[in-house]
Amino acid sequence: MNQMTFVPPQPAPAPPPLPSIRLSFSGDRGEFRRLVTRGAGLELITVGFYRFWLATDIRRHLWSNTDIDGDAAEYTGRGKELLIGFLFALAILVPIYLAYFLVGLEVERFKAFASFPLFVFFYLFGQFAIYRARRYRLTRTVWRGVRFWMDGSGWAYAARSALWGLTMIVTLGLILPWREAALERYKMRHCHYGDLQGSFAGTGWDFFKRGWWLWLLTVVPLVVAFAAPLVRLNRALLPFARIATEISGVLWLLILLSAPFVYGVFKATEWRWWLSGIRFGEVRFESALLRGALVGLYWKVIGWFLLSLVLFSAYLFGSAGLIAKMSQIPMARLFTAGHLQDSIPMLVLGGIGYLTLILILNVVLRIYLLRDVWARLVASTTVHHIEVVANVSARGDLASALGEGLADGLDIVGF
Amino acid sequence: MDSALEYTLPRPDGSVVYFDGRSSRRRPVTLAFSDQLELNEPSEAAIFWPYADIRRADGPAGTLRLTCVAAPALARLEIRDAALATELVSRCTRLDENASGRGGVATIIGWSLAAAVSIVAVVLFGVPLAADRLTPLVPQAFERRLGDVADGQVKALFGNKVCNSAAGQAAFAKLVNTLRDAGLDPSIQTAVLATAIPNAFALPGGKVYLFSGLLAKADNADEIAGVLAHELGHLRHRDGTRNLIYNGGTSFLIGLLFGDVTGSAAVIFATRSLVSASYSREAEHNADTFSIDVMHRLGRPTKAMGELLFRVTGKEMDKTLSILSSHPLTEDRLQRMRDEDRPVSGPPLLTAAEWNSLKAICTPPHK
Repeated sequence: MNQMTFVPPQPAPAPPPLPSIRLSFSGDRGEFRRLVTRGAGLELITVGFYRFWLATDIRRHLWSNTDIDGDAAEYTGRGKELLIGFLFALAILVPIYLAYFLVGLEVERFKAFASFPLFVFFYLFGQFAIYRARRYRLTRTVWRGVRFWMDGSGWAYAARSALWGLTMIVTLGLILPWREAALERYKMRHCHYGDLQGSFAGTGWDFFKRGWWLWLLTVVPLVVAFAAPLVRLNRALLPFARIATEISGVLWLLILLSAPFVYGVFKATEWRWWLSGIRFGEVRFESALLRGALVGLYWKVIGWFLLSLVLFSAYLFGSAGLIAKMSQIPMARLFTAGHLQDSIPMLVLGGIGYLTLILILNVVLRIYLLRDVWARLVASTTVHHIEVVANVSARGDLASALGEGLADGLDIVGF
Repeated sequence: MDSALEYTLPRPDGSVVYFDGRSSRRRPVTLAFSDQLELNEPSEAAIFWPYADIRRADGPAGTLRLTCVAAPALARLEIRDAALATELVSRCTRLDENASGRGGVATIIGWSLAAAVSIVAVVLFGVPLAADRLTPLVPQAFERRLGDVADGQVKALFGNKVCNSAAGQAAFAKLVNTLRDAGLDPSIQTAVLATAIPNAFALPGGKVYLFSGLLAKADNADEIAGVLAHELGHLRHRDGTRNLIYNGGTSFLIGLLFGDVTGSAAVIFATRSLVSASYSREAEHNADTFSIDVMHRLGRPTKAMGELLFRVTGKEMDKTLSILSSHPLTEDRLQRMRDEDRPVSGPPLLTAAEWNSLKAICTPPHK
């Protein structure tokens, strides 16, 4: 291991305690918007390959504008590393994919669609990828000339995560706080900043206390909405079938309308609990994020989605009208299946519109749910005992981007 | 450049901070510009950074953050004084060498397009070639296994309703045996499934299914015989296996392009593609040829099958672009089968009574 120790010329006296400091985010929103807009365009031109460089640029922007005690962090990862990680992941996943196909064939012989449970295998792989992806990101994070790093085993983590996942199914998600606490404890105790070891102080019970009512609000109506129509199956309850169906319908509507609130509050609670649990040695983080801090962002995203869809429909209708006018073909014919030859200009225009729509939605998602969430989380956070990091020795090696590549290949998000 | 200029402060004022990359200690320094950059700290030996080795690192607005090729990888110099920063930048000639500028983006676009073109080329030319070459190498046992898998799903998709009225079954067996005698693998299994969709298809390993929807539209035994012979042609040419390799390879490569390699539930999709029977136009043409040959050998009309298809699909010419359609246009197929039609020389394949029982194969016998 590349272990270098800096020996100060005079033995440094124990640093005096410093007042707690607030983190701050100074990134310019317009600059970020330009960054992701340009990135989305380039992603389109390069049929998606630009994603490695875009992800890198986004992280560079977020990291370097995040200020801790007067010094900003720095992201030293590069797009090329992510590309190489992805190619390595391909080399691993392709043979597995083929093996999966052959094993699936064998299983399907006994029972149609029986190959489905094999997804458990991919779940494990996904959890491994999440662990290794965090490891990559952490080793590319530098603050005051010292990098963060991570050890521990991705497979041990994947096994833990899978076992906890089973308990999630059994308890209808009620155990989520304890699952997250246990997994985070494993991850954080393998995180380091120089020679300072990380840990996680959040407990499942803390999270549960803050969020149990969200569970009630989600799971109970869901169970009732699913179960109510089943009343019909019982002869004795048949007179209530109609009212049960109505209750179920109303509940579904309520669930749909309240989802952005419930999810926004859940995410804010989760983030606050997570941030407040982070420790590096004596250094303690604390977040004061309000419950409703993220709800507005989710509604804004929904608003933008609806607006884009309306504009997209208007565009489709407008271009159909234009084509009909120019080619003298009745409009109804353009939309009837089977008249493909006449529809080609429409298909081309529709395709362009669709790609633009996807592009806009991507930009909206990244601005609100990445940049704005990040900015709010950072601004809500206070650090105590920052004096401990006045003289931390550098340690730790770089990790490869294989985990990121696997997560990309398996379409998994997480950290 | 004026190298005599010395920008020295008696005491560090905090506007320049040096991190040595070995510890997180903030080291306030003063800068001096000689033939190299000089970092001075009270009671420490000066540190020298050659101007040509200095590179820019990411920093927040208002802070110039620098690194040096010759120094430890994570050593950073942070300058918060704008005038000082400008002064230093003017001396560092290779400051932005690491940054990916326009050239970098153009390279990424170029390589991406090259990758996309090569993937498309492989899909258009490489995969069909590979499918043709690999199909004869696939063992029969494996093919039968594939068929078994697809079989389970076919039954799950279309409802497991195999029609088996005794008289209908006998007529169907007679028809299939007649076709078999005209030169086919005896291991082929056939069945009629009760579903309204007018279709028939062959699964790898030798299973042919006829849907009752097609029977309902048929007027005589020759029409059905032609269709069955067409499906048997697919089996003879192993089109199912070739198709599986082709579709699997294609969807995998397209997935690669957009970054999804697992192709979730690949088995289900791959086998479903067998059912959707989107064989290539060439494969359809060859299966038609096979069907025509069989009908000639039996001395029965070939145009019957074409007429049945025409009845099912209707006129296709103004509906679909021929280039987008996987089957040859029904008009063209009908024309070909008419051209190939010869005077009837063989005995009828089924008697009128047998034909009627075949049509009624899905109706349970009256009690």
